[in-house]
Amino acid sequence: MKVLLEWFEGRSGFFAWLGRVYASTRGCGGTNCLFLAAIATAFVLQALSGFFLWMQYSPSAQTAWESVYYLQNHVAGGWLLRAIHHYSAHVLLAVLILYILQQIYVRSCRPPRELVFWSAVGLALCALAAILTGDLLCWDQNGYAATKTRVGFLTFIPWVGEYLFRIAIGGVGPGLGHLTLTHFFAWHIGLFAAGFFLLLVIHALLMRRVEAAAMNSLSPEPRYFRAWLPAAACLIISVIVLGAACRHGFQPPEAGVELLSPADVDPANQYAAARPEWFLVGLYELSHLPGLRERPFLSIFIIPGVVLGIILAMPFLARSKAGHLFNLLFTTLALIGVIVLSCYSLAKDRADTEHQRAIAVERQIAGRAGKLIRRLGIPPTGALSLLRNDPWVEGRRLFAMHCASCHSHVSFPMNDSGLAERSTVRNFHDVPSASPSAPNLWNFAGRDWLKGLLDPKRIGGPDYFGNTKFRSGKMADFVKETLADLEADEHAALEKVVRALSAEAGLPEQSALEAQETAFIAEGRQLLAREFGCTDCHKFHDKGALGTAPDLTGYGSREWLTGIIRDPGHRRFYGENNDRMPAYAPSNADAQHTLSAHQIELLVDWLRGEWYEEENSNK
Amino acid sequence: MSQITPSCCSCSLPPEGGASRRGFFATLVAACSTLFTVLLPSITGVLGLLNPLRQKGGAGRFVRLATLELLPEDGTPYKAPVIAARSDAWTSYPPEPVGAVFLRRAGDRVLAFQVICPHAGCSLGYESSPQGGRFFCPCHAAGFDLDGRRTDPSSFSPRDMDTLEVEIRNGNEVWVKYETFRLGTAQKIAQR
Repeated sequence: MKVLLEWFEGRSGFFAWLGRVYASTRGCGGTNCLFLAAIATAFVLQALSGFFLWMQYSPSAQTAWESVYYLQNHVAGGWLLRAIHHYSAHVLLAVLILYILQQIYVRSCRPPRELVFWSAVGLALCALAAILTGDLLCWDQNGYAATKTRVGFLTFIPWVGEYLFRIAIGGVGPGLGHLTLTHFFAWHIGLFAAGFFLLLVIHALLMRRVEAAAMNSLSPEPRYFRAWLPAAACLIISVIVLGAACRHGFQPPEAGVELLSPADVDPANQYAAARPEWFLVGLYELSHLPGLRERPFLSIFIIPGVVLGIILAMPFLARSKAGHLFNLLFTTLALIGVIVLSCYSLAKDRADTEHQRAIAVERQIAGRAGKLIRRLGIPPTGALSLLRNDPWVEGRRLFAMHCASCHSHVSFPMNDSGLAERSTVRNFHDVPSASPSAPNLWNFAGRDWLKGLLDPKRIGGPDYFGNTKFRSGKMADFVKETLADLEADEHAALEKVVRALSAEAGLPEQSALEAQETAFIAEGRQLLAREFGCTDCHKFHDKGALGTAPDLTGYGSREWLTGIIRDPGHRRFYGENNDRMPAYAPSNADAQHTLSAHQIELLVDWLRGEWYEEENSNK
Repeated sequence: MSQITPSCCSCSLPPEGGASRRGFFATLVAACSTLFTVLLPSITGVLGLLNPLRQKGGAGRFVRLATLELLPEDGTPYKAPVIAARSDAWTSYPPEPVGAVFLRRAGDRVLAFQVICPHAGCSLGYESSPQGGRFFCPCHAAGFDLDGRRTDPSSFSPRDMDTLEVEIRNGNEVWVKYETFRLGTAQKIAQR
């Protein structure tokens, strides 16, 4: 063993070098040392966790989110690994910013330390770029939306913007894809992480050089008594990162860093609540100020560019007293500006119910993705295709896009003006219409919905025919004249009719009840056709005829709903009396349809509340 | 990496006495914090790397491969594809070909052989000739007779062809317990 060591030492001089390095560390303990120790610690956390993440990650539009989901939920310690990488990145940048501020404030950036200062600024820029490129890699709705916006800024650059944009995303856009991920992944590691390491070494060597020179000329007070401080700083950094990583507990999916649902390239489904990272919130708000809003190139490139230029010039300015004063003033004002803008922005978001709702909705969709994956697994086409084929998610979106221009779908009664107050929206499936002019379809054909329809006070209201031409139609007249002032036994009869008609829909929510009430429902059917005279206008099984009012046979069933969405002007539904509802698939020629057969299926299932639910939530 | 930190800032070398006074405590704190910083991500990462060791492999499952009518009466082998759902890390694939099995009649029994050569995992072929057919491996020319026995005493293959358990269900359905086996060993050891 000893022979081996001697042989190695004789050829490499490694231990002698180690000894020199160790000797040179004695007595260190200044503020610079403290900062460098903290930076090195955060970087070691970054590099090690990053290397292990690299082994678990697969950059492509169908596998990026999926591999991260797998890591987060199925790999032992995977959530912790992600969280360590995430939080140490932010701690690293925070420490670097403090480091630069310290050099400005105590004037230690002045010559001959220009290169030391500049390399510190370079480190901060590298860390920032690594965070921004890393943000996209998990390919969830937030990273996607934020990156798409940021990369889009490139197009504001005159002349070359469009070319830079295409190169950055590896395609023609507007959506990001496979090559955006591979580009960003390579830059994240090969350019910014590796560049950071190189700069850190250069920075440390430069620092060592100037400090040694300063020692010869000044012989400062020995600061050795604080030598344990940098080591303690390392420990504190690691503990902070670990604490942050564990702040949401130890049980995935909640533990560690949140993973939203997989990125959707469809701009209609883009996450509306994406916000920049903490260090860019100020700039974000700045670019939204009146005056700057119309000049994005100025606020996003020129202003930060000028600020960076001034920061880089600070070592020279710091030479004179006046210059140092300018540095202090400028830095302080800029800091105050950034902090004020950031706080303003955060407060604005907190008070913005639309923003909060967009976040809540996206979190629900992320949870839904987990449920679907637990049941079906992730198909080769990626997790997004699960969401696209799920009535719970896609039915709601289709309704919002194609139906909510007239219909609302809200769990609460609408007010007199017919507008649903947006602050009352609380259910995921509430989709208020901006200008409702057709019935609220919440629980359509369900017992409560039908009871409301047959209520003289409500049929002319905003939840039913209030905003349609049927407000003073035959049905409304019938309900108001015949069903007002009912006796107790008549009320009971009406209840039976409601249950019988609702049973036509075969709603999953009511199936258990209906199985128990078969006699009750059979009686209701008789009443509907005879005593109540519904079949004078409506067809109901073998009674009545088509042509005057919608068919009540199978009212609200999948088949019935599919039919009315395809063509409400068909004589089985409203015929020539159809108010304004468009026909979404009137013929059999798919190419002419507004909605495909599959989309109508999803929409109908959603309206009927037919979707997969886990037997019992697993916690 | 961690050496860079302290080495860069040799602010001042203390007098000899000072060095020993504070040396031990500082070194202790430095050692602890370096260890913690390095071990925290490393252990977490290695845990993830070792994840496959926790997973259960696919134990052999019976799959329906053919009906008796499909198998030639004269004992000529029939190569039946195995169609099964499989998963790869996060992806669940719908049923697709995952392997194949040679089926042949031997009297009133049905024999099933794994098509994977026990030597290096190449796919075995079947070759008919006037003297009677044989299985052979295209990679290293190992040959097997129709009962799966090695024809050459100096064969590259360490063992005879791997037989699979067969069950005839519902009168004429051939069900086979599909398994793969470790390569290159004299014993037949199922992969779990």
